[in-house]
Amino acid sequence: MTGWRHRPIEWLPEDPGVLKALDRNRVTEDGAEAVALTYVNAKAGWVVKRRLQQGDHADWLMENEAGSMAVEVSGTASGDPLGRLGEKKRQVAECSLPVYRLAVVVGFERPSILAGSV
Amino acid sequence: MTNTASFATTEDELDTLVSIAIRRAEILDDEGSPAADEAWHEVSAYEQRLAAITAPSEIAGGVARVGAVRAALAAGHRAEAESLASKYLAETQLPAERRAAMERVFQEDRDRRARHFPAIAKSGRLAELAGWRAAAAAQNSRVFPMSEAA
Repeated sequence: MTGWRHRPIEWLPEDPGVLKALDRNRVTEDGAEAVALTYVNAKAGWVVKRRLQQGDHADWLMENEAGSMAVEVSGTASGDPLGRLGEKKRQVAECSLPVYRLAVVVGFERPSILAGSV
Repeated sequence: MTNTASFATTEDELDTLVSIAIRRAEILDDEGSPAADEAWHEVSAYEQRLAAITAPSEIAGGVARVGAVRAALAAGHRAEAESLASKYLAETQLPAERRAAMERVFQEDRDRRARHFPAIAKSGRLAELAGWRAAAAAQNSRVFPMSEAA
């Protein structure tokens, strides 16, 4: 779980006209979840078990041969993803389940994935 | 003639269903939709089915049990939430961490109601309010179309 820092990512830009018609926050959140879940699967074979409720302080419960992991995901359309990562690490640290805990922030302005375990 | 169909679901299928239901309920909650209550009730139903097929000592079983109670509260079904909590807390294999999580769920609900009804909370009558609302809703389910959690 150590050494999860900056990883490059690329995608095709969406038509701005289409984006204007969508809920910016929700699109950012959904996009971040898609990227983050793919990333943790590619990185260490984690697969989604189920979504968690907000009160669990994490978005997803994932599993692999090492056990279970609670993952909190966030996306930033603009601004500092590193600051958001600190915020999300503090949030997932409050998850009381006896599992690994990871925060992932996907930056879309300058494409990036930041991840940190607690 | 009434046809009754039994619908068996696996843990994997229920995990998928509850994941979709949670997302829908959270979106409806964010939008302040009156449909959020029903969506949370659906979440609680899936969580209860998951709880029924998983052990309380398993991660998934503990998550489902606390989730069933939390979702019932979010749906405004406080009596059902208390009944579920009693049932799950009676399971000796339920880990201490999940027991504490269950208590936090009720504390968070009390805090949420106190924010919505500050004057009543200040006078220490939140339980009385909850009882009255439950009695009124039992007589007419449309009296409180939205729970105070929404």
